Parts: sequence; structure tokens; C-alpha cells
Amino acid sequence: MQREAEAEAVATEAASSGRRRGGPQQGSAAAFRASVEERLRALEREMAEVKSRVNGLIFLIAGTVATASGAVTWMAAALKSAGTALLVYSVGATVYRVKRLNGVWGSPAAWSHSLASVSGLACNQYFDFDIAVAGSQSSGVAGLWTVIYGDGYSQALDTWSPLMELTLASAGSSVQFRAPSLAVMGRYRLFFVEKYTGSQAYTRAYWTHLAPGQTFVSNTWREPVVMDIEGDFGLAAAAGSGWGWLSTPSGVWRASLSAPVLELGEDVLEAYVETRPQEGRLRVVLRNDDGRYNDLSGGAYAAIRRGSQVDFSPGYVTASGPVASPGARYWIEGWDYVNDRGRALFVLHGSDGWALLENWRARRQFTWGAGESTVYALLRFVLGCAGLGFDALSASDTVTSLSPAFTIQPAESGKGAVGRLLAMVPDVLLVSGEYGYLVNPTATQATDYEYGVEHAILKGRYGCRPTSFNRVQVFGEGLMVEDFDWTGVGDIYDRLHQAHDRNLTSTAAAQDRADALLRHQEMQAADDEVLVPVNCGQELYDVVEVTDPRAGLSAARRRVLAMSFRYVRNRPSPAYEMRLRLGAV
Amino acid sequence: MNLRQGILKSFDAGSYTATVQVAGSLAVWLAGVPVNRGIPQTEMVAGRRCALVFFDDANPGDAVLVAVYT
Repeated sequence: MQREAEAEAVATEAASSGRRRGGPQQGSAAAFRASVEERLRALEREMAEVKSRVNGLIFLIAGTVATASGAVTWMAAALKSAGTALLVYSVGATVYRVKRLNGVWGSPAAWSHSLASVSGLACNQYFDFDIAVAGSQSSGVAGLWTVIYGDGYSQALDTWSPLMELTLASAGSSVQFRAPSLAVMGRYRLFFVEKYTGSQAYTRAYWTHLAPGQTFVSNTWREPVVMDIEGDFGLAAAAGSGWGWLSTPSGVWRASLSAPVLELGEDVLEAYVETRPQEGRLRVVLRNDDGRYNDLSGGAYAAIRRGSQVDFSPGYVTASGPVASPGARYWIEGWDYVNDRGRALFVLHGSDGWALLENWRARRQFTWGAGESTVYALLRFVLGCAGLGFDALSASDTVTSLSPAFTIQPAESGKGAVGRLLAMVPDVLLVSGEYGYLVNPTATQATDYEYGVEHAILKGRYGCRPTSFNRVQVFGEGLMVEDFDWTGVGDIYDRLHQAHDRNLTSTAAAQDRADALLRHQEMQAADDEVLVPVNCGQELYDVVEVTDPRAGLSAARRRVLAMSFRYVRNRPSPAYEMRLRLGAV
Repeated sequence: MNLRQGILKSFDAGSYTATVQVAGSLAVWLAGVPVNRGIPQTEMVAGRRCALVFFDDANPGDAVLVAVYT
């Protein structure tokens, strides 16, 4: 079990008393800010080269880098190595860059983009020079964008990438964004200010991070999270020596970048896992006979918090000792203290990444025009908003070619949006840990495992069910196509399903949709259930072969559509078993 | 099919489409929403409340502004 470290205050100014904790006392925040602003004004026209000494601990003003054409409003710099650095600054609405190579500063040059105003800059070197820009477009749309000044990794050397939208606000919405700050704290984290000048105005800090496994160029950020910090200039972020740092004029905070880990394996009395196509839940019963879990406020057990991660790794005792699978990951939803006829128990409840998707609600309207983004890219975006990474184990052609007009309505859940996207394609989504993996469940998928020969089947039920529908009509923009399961029609007459999608502007695209709908139904044609000893590597949507002579099955191919895991010890009937629900391949 | 409430932000009489702040979206508005041609353009006044029907909740182009009211 682990969770990200909490931020701890290194020095903060108490709002009411003006006194600082954990550091030397200073004047009021306003006075401090005024002195900084006065100093900045003095430097506006002459940007000075900054050289570091003594491992960067002492900085000296040493020389002129460039003379700006006007007042410099925002600036940010990033240091690479061996004297390479990049300074970006804005004069009016134009961003300039000046690069230092081999210890020598080059000439400043304007970027290749155009904004109507700039209200903040941040820069960090991490393979490329990664930059965040706040401002507004000529249309009045306010935004926060990321952009890369290439260092030869994701972007060609000394070229600008396109501006990539991180968040937007419509012209006239009274919302604007300011003062971004960027640092790699385990993964990229970005802090900025959202300012609303309408009724109940606010100026609040927000933070976000790149989704797991995503690079800066993917621009896949978690939905920004509000922070309990106000002010026009937000937070300055930095990372180093295993700590992430945040500072404002009146406070400094740090958080360890290594998460505390609590091993619970020895205390587990019972464990139950339910895994379904769009849901995964964990329930773990722990011994609490000595009251060890009664106080979670400190010590090692402080890691048990709502939102902490639980890595559940079942395994076996083998000839070479205990071995465990990497297992699945859940996030703690809550817990119970139980008095069961004198037995003291502590029960943890967790849910998987689907719950993260369910609990992400759109803060605003998200809209993509037709042709703007593929279903694949839209899925990556939505999962990223919930803090989940995204990749494909296999993918249909449709998911990477269909680019529908799409919107996510305000307050709609990520799970709902993902469901609507998956309904457009034959692919399914496998959530494992903090990633969502696309799987195209084709009928020709290779067999992953066998049950009934070396891996015993304790119980089995093998059913045949009719599908919900065996005839599909898809209505697109001025067209209609049909698809049939003729065997099903012959058996039980036709059962019709209609789909309407004006995004479908060709018969080929509509036919793909019809095929996908029937494909999903085909997998429901079998309804089997087997009880087996635990297979630690079993995953949803795997194809398995089932051999059970009592039901006349020999290497019958099935697809795992759901599974449950049960572990019980210290009971009259101990158990270590899995129940698999199997459908047709 | 879903019915949603909004606030009219602007109206294009040429294309008979509107830009609408769908309820719940503080910062971002939905542009290009087709408008019921039975509504006189003189009634399409920015700031008025409106009702939107989404035939496909996922497709912003498959919607219509059916009513505007104060």
C-alpha cells in the first residue's frame, strides 16, 4: 500500500499574525511582494545573465543576456547541462527565446506563434525545453498551452512545436489563466492560477500532472485540481534531491517524492476481488485483534488513507519459495472496523481505475469537431483527465481512423464518456493499475491459457444464451446500413437494434459500426462459469481453452468476461480460488 | 436523447446557429448549435435562457436549440 507524500510546510506566513513558522520572521507578504516587484522593475530592461556557483546554491548577476525591445512582462529559464540554458521572456504578446550554448548566449528570437496577450511563462528542460504559456488569443479565448522548444527529442532542435491546449475559457467568460510553473516531480507537474472576475470572483491556484506513461508532447494532463491557495502569482515549483518544492511569497512547502509503503500481507485473513468489464472492487479483511489499526493518525499505518493505493499481489508457495504476481492496483474508498462475535477485524474497501473514471466529472464543456481527434486520442484524453495512462495491447482500424464530432457535457463522468466512445468501436478497455489498455477482441485472438488439463476445474457451468439482438440497423448522415447474425435470426427470429450517429458519413464507416455492435453481441453468446484454483496471471478479455469432458468440452475457446477472487484463511472452510465468467471468443 | 438548459451567448442569423453556455460549464461555451427556425431572430437575445435537445448527447452537431425564454 502506498500514497503520494503529503506536502509539509518549510516556512509559511500565518494569514492573521504575519508570523512565519519554521524560518526567520519577515515583514508582511505585501511588503515582501512590493520589494520583489520593485527589484523586478529595475531589471525589466536589462535581463542579466545568471551564473551559478557552488552547485547552484549561490547566484550572481554577472552580465547582460539580451536587451528587450520593450518592458519584459514574464520570464522563465531552464538549465540543461554543460552551460546550455534557455531563457524565454515576453514583451507584450510576443514570446522570445534566447539560448546559451557552450556558455555563450545567442541572440533573442521571437517564437513562431501568435497570441493576443501573455499572462505567464514557465520553462523546464527534460529531454526538450518544455514550456507552458498562459494568455489569450485574438478571439478573446483565454488559455493555458504547452509548447516545446526542441532539443532533438520530441521536437527538432531549435524549433517550436505547435501550441497544445491544456485548458481554455471562452471569450467573455470572465475566466483567465496566469502564472504557470513547471517541474518534474516524479512526473511532470504544472501549477497555474485560474482567475474568475464574475460574481463570487476568485483567484485560485490549480495543479495538474502528466498522466502515467505520457510524455510532454502527448499533452495528456490530469484534470487540474483546485488548491487552497489564492493569489495572482500562484506557486513556483521546483524539484531536487528527492523532494518537490512549492513556494509563494509567504510560504515554502516540500513533499518527498518517494511514497511510504506499508506491507499488509501477513495481516490478511480474507480477500475478495471482483473484476467486471467496467468495474473492479477489492475487499480485504485484516486481523485487528490487538487493535493495531485502531489509530491511523500516525506511524506506519498513516499510509492508510482514502485514496491511498493498494497493490494486491496474489501468489503461490513454490519449490523455489513464495512468488507473487505484480497483481492489480486499487485505491482505498474506505474501511470498516468490525466486531464479529469477539473477533476484531479491519476491512479495507478499494476500487480500481474505473472508479477514478467514474469519479471524474467534466468541469466544463469539452468539444471536438469532426476530423479533429480520433477515438483513440479521445480515449487517451478522457483517461488522462482521470489520472490514468493509456496504451493499446491491440487496436481496431476504426479506433485510429474514426474522428467523430464529440462533446463531453458538464458534470458528465469519465466513465460515461469512455462508454460512449467505446460504443463506436469494436475495442474494449482493460483497466490495469493506473493504465487503461485498449484491446481489440477479435475472434482469431491467440489462446492465452488452458483450463481443465493441467489447471483443474473445480466446478463448471456452461450455458447457451440468445444475444440481445441479431440484426443491426445503423443510421448515419443520410444513409443506413444493416448487418445480421443469420444463425440467430434463423433460431429466434430477428431481434433488432438500431443505432443513430450523424458522425457516420459513409457506408463503410456505418458498416464498421454495425460490425462492431454485432461483434460485442457475439461474445455474449456463451454464458459459462468455472471455479478454478487461483491463476495469478489471469486477466479480463484473455482467451482461454476449456476442457471439461463432463460437459463434452475439449479445448473449447472462451473469452474471460468477468472474474472474482476469494481468499479465506483461519476459517473452517479456507479458500483460494477464482470464479471466471466466460463468453464466446 | 437529452434535454439541457443553457444561456444564449450569441446568435448567427446567417447559419441560424447559436453559441450557448450549457448549464454547468462556467468557462467554456458550446458554439454552432442549430436553432429552431421557428424562433424569430429578434428573440435570440444574448443572456436569455434557452433549452437544448441533444438527440445524441455525444455529438454537439446533433442538437437543436428549441426554445429561448427569460
